[in-house]
Amino acid sequence: MRLHYYPGCTLKNKTTNFDLSTREAMKRLDIELVEPDGWTCCGAEYPLTEEKIVGLAAPIRVLRQVKDEGGDILVTSCSFCYAVLKRAHKAHRDDPIKRKRVNAFLHDDIKIDRWTKEKTTGFEDYDGEVRILHILEYLRDVVGREKIRSALKRDLRGLKVAPYYGCRLLRPRDEIGLDEPDNPHIFEEFLETIGCTPVDYPFKQECCGSYLSVSLPSAATEASYRVLRSAKLEGAEAIAVSCPLCFYNMDHRQELIKEKFLDFPGLPVLFFTQLLAWGLGVERSVLGLDQHAVSPASLFRESPGPEVIL
Amino acid sequence: MRVKLKAGAEESKFIERIEELSGENVYACYQCGRCSAGCPVAFEMDLLPNQIIRLVQMGLKDEVLNSKTLSICASCFTCQSRCPKGIDMARVMEAVRHVLDPKSRDIFGPSDVSPELAIELPQQVLVAVFRKFSK
Repeated sequence: MRLHYYPGCTLKNKTTNFDLSTREAMKRLDIELVEPDGWTCCGAEYPLTEEKIVGLAAPIRVLRQVKDEGGDILVTSCSFCYAVLKRAHKAHRDDPIKRKRVNAFLHDDIKIDRWTKEKTTGFEDYDGEVRILHILEYLRDVVGREKIRSALKRDLRGLKVAPYYGCRLLRPRDEIGLDEPDNPHIFEEFLETIGCTPVDYPFKQECCGSYLSVSLPSAATEASYRVLRSAKLEGAEAIAVSCPLCFYNMDHRQELIKEKFLDFPGLPVLFFTQLLAWGLGVERSVLGLDQHAVSPASLFRESPGPEVIL
Repeated sequence: MRVKLKAGAEESKFIERIEELSGENVYACYQCGRCSAGCPVAFEMDLLPNQIIRLVQMGLKDEVLNSKTLSICASCFTCQSRCPKGIDMARVMEAVRHVLDPKSRDIFGPSDVSPELAIELPQQVLVAVFRKFSK
C-alpha cells in the first residue's frame, strides 16, 4: 500500500535516522511511504496572529499537492510538522475568509507537467480534503494493535522506556485533538504494543525549551534537564521522542546538562520509530545509532544465544 | 510593582490592537496565575505571563514591550491548555511581539547565530526561532 508521507526539513538533513527508521518500519507493515512531489518546508511555526495568513500558504501547498496526486491521508512523524500542517488545515477548512485568501495566494503557482514540461498556472482550489495523521495516530487508528503485534520479530519485553510528548503533539487540544493534553496515553499504548514497559513520569508533556536552545540556551538546558531527570528518577532506561528538536535539546545538549547539573547521570534519547523498526526486525545498522550523542547502542542488542563454554 | 495608570486614546488603541491580532479577549483574565504556575521557562522571565496580560488590560504598552518575557515564551501552549477562561496566552504574546516597533532590532535574528553553531543545529530550530523572533 502506498501512503503519502511528509518528512520535513530536519529529517532530510540532521536526523536521517528518524526518516530511515520510519520508512523501514512502515515497510515491514506493508506500507510504502511516498513523498508529495516538490514538497517544501512547512514553516516550523504556525502563525499565531490573525494577520499572518501568508504563513498558511506553505503547509496548504503541500496538502494541495497530496490531493493533486490523489491522496487523502498525509502522515508525518515530526511533531512540529504535524502541528503546523494540522493547524493550518483546520484554519483553512473552517475559516472561509482565510481559505479564500490562501487559495488566492496559491492560485498562480506554476505547475510543470511531469512529462511534457509544459508550464501552466491556475491551480484548482484546495478545500481541506486531506487528513493529516501523525505516525503514532496512524498506527493506532489505521494499522491497529493486532497487526503490529503479529509483525513483531524481536522481543523488547522488560525495556523501560519513558514516552516524551513535548509541546507540539498535544496542544492546543481543539486544533490538534490527538489526545488529552494533561493525561495522554497514545505513546504509552504504542510502547506497550511493541512490548516495552512505558514509564510514567510527571514531565512527559512539559516543554523541553524548544527553539530557546538557540536564543536562550540556559532556559533550554534547564527545561530539558527537568524532563530527563524526572524520567531517570522513575527508572527509565531511555526516553522516546517524536520530534527532532526535542532530540537535539535532550541528546546533543546532554553534555552541557551534565556539566551544569552534576546529579544527572545521563539517559539515551531515541526516536519512537527506532524502537518500532527494531521490534519489527530491521537491521541494527539501519537505525543510525551513530547519530546519537548519548549512545543507545546497549539497548539494541540481539538477545544472547546459548553460552558456549570453551 | 508600581505603575502609573493612564486611560488615554493610545492605551485603548493598544488594547484593541492586541485583541484584534490575537483574537483573544484579554479582559477575560481574572489573574488566577495558572499560566505562570505551569510555564516551563518562567524562571527566566522578568514579568510572568499573568503579569503581562494584566499590563495589557491596563494598556501599559511600554512596560509590556520592554519586557524580556517576549523573547522567552516558547509557545508550548501549556498556559493555553490550563487557562480556566480559555485564553490562549501564546497568541497574546505573539500579538505583543507583532506590535513591537518594526524599525527596532530583531529580538533574535540571523546575525545572532554563529556559522559554526548554524551548521550543527537542526534546520527546524532555525526556521522556528527566526519566525518567532525576527521580522
